[in-house]
Amino acid sequence: MSRGNGTNCLDDQVTGMALSVLAEVGRMLETLADSGREDAIDLRSLPLTDADRAELEQMLGRGEVRAELDLAGESEVWETNYPGAWWIRHRGAERKIASEEIAVCRIPEILKTHPVDIETAALRIRNELETTHE
Amino acid sequence: MNDKKTLGEMLTERGVSRRTFLKYASYTASIMALPPTAATAIAQGIANARRQSVIWLSFQECTGCTESITRAHTPSIEDLIFDFISLDYHHTLQNASGHAAEEARMQAMQENAGEYIVVVDGSVPLKDDGIYSTIAGITNLQMLEETVKDAFAVISVGSCATFGGIPGANPNPTGAVPITDIVTDKPVINISGCPPIPEAMTGTISYLLSFGSIPELDHLNRPKAFFGEAIHDRCYRRPFYERGMFAKSFDDEGARQGWCLFEVGCKGPVTYNACATLKWNGGTSFPIQSGHGCLGCSEPGFWDLGGFYKPLSTAKGDPLKWAGGAAVAGAAVGAASAIMARNKRNKILKEGK
Ligand code: SF4
Repeated sequence: MSRGNGTNCLDDQVTGMALSVLAEVGRMLETLADSGREDAIDLRSLPLTDADRAELEQMLGRGEVRAELDLAGESEVWETNYPGAWWIRHRGAERKIASEEIAVCRIPEILKTHPVDIETAALRIRNELETTHE
Repeated sequence: MNDKKTLGEMLTERGVSRRTFLKYASYTASIMALPPTAATAIAQGIANARRQSVIWLSFQECTGCTESITRAHTPSIEDLIFDFISLDYHHTLQNASGHAAEEARMQAMQENAGEYIVVVDGSVPLKDDGIYSTIAGITNLQMLEETVKDAFAVISVGSCATFGGIPGANPNPTGAVPITDIVTDKPVINISGCPPIPEAMTGTISYLLSFGSIPELDHLNRPKAFFGEAIHDRCYRRPFYERGMFAKSFDDEGARQGWCLFEVGCKGPVTYNACATLKWNGGTSFPIQSGHGCLGCSEPGFWDLGGFYKPLSTAKGDPLKWAGGAAVAGAAVGAASAIMARNKRNKILKEGK
């Protein structure tokens, strides 16, 4: 029950929240399978202790896919051991977690390339080729 | 400034991908307590918006609110807000000074009439015709009235602008008033705190940008996303409060064990803010986690609440008022422990602490 700064806290206590979140993920996966409806849970909005979060991460485990993103700071996305349930962790200033969610979907939106970026990429290649030929 | 390009077009030219927008949107959705699935709509809303003209007026204030929003960190997702807004006037941050600064304000008002946002920190002195604070030869009152005339919305940041703050504290020598006493014909969003949490300021602006509307506000005009819950509701020391385990001084065994700080003056039970969840300095800590009670700085008249180190019930002269409120809030955790805590506090009050 002790933090490095000398004050004590309850962050290393397991409250049972992880199991509730796991059950919720299970319900969302059923809905995704039945109707294709995607959903997500904002982990920062839940009163999870550090120990709960670690327990949840361990319960969900890691599956086949893992991606590292470099977007104004680091982000990590991995499919958990339960296909269709993805853990998305965005880091902000000083690598602190800026947002963290479990997305229940076929593929998280953040991994898809946006049509605007595809257009821009094509344009960049065209410009580069034009410059090379000049 | 009046840039015709959308933020999406502007930032694409600078190599910022739509994924980055989406990451920012996920962060905004999270701090605004919106469902994560709202992130796509937020990202699209910001990408389609034009750079938002912001005129920042500083009146009777200490510049702490500006310090808070411009906190120094490594470039990161949180700083993207400074690409989304055009800060057209700000005494402390703009390069221009004197007449050139005032011209920048006038130009922003003309070019963005009906669309610009006025951010105000500091209270406005009204006593003796407002002579206690003037800028560019006019009183704060004149500058405020002139500037908000064609604004889309006003955001009061900090406890001075929202509730009068320290300038308005007893005996209020300058007749300081909050912005809502003057601006009555425009939406005014209050983001209180001394200073306010930076995410509460940037999150609110991002919400305005993405949805073009005002977020849901509480009875004091504060966004519910940040001010919807008391510090006490989300405080990690709450289980000690429920068990009636209180630190009696800042160096006793209870304080060392991380017990509840109610009896050393914590105002968490009556203070609505997001310090316990968003925390400060990039999520590092907040006063209670650092061993000090909440001062209640985001509530009206916090400076005159009767003493930072006196328990609430003593300070307000009504022992049962906060105890009752806290017991109701704590019912889910256990009525018995709340009653125990109340009895304990009453005992201490009787002993004259
Ligand atoms: S009184 Fe203060 S320290 Fe105690 S639980 Fe409430 S907010 Fe936390």
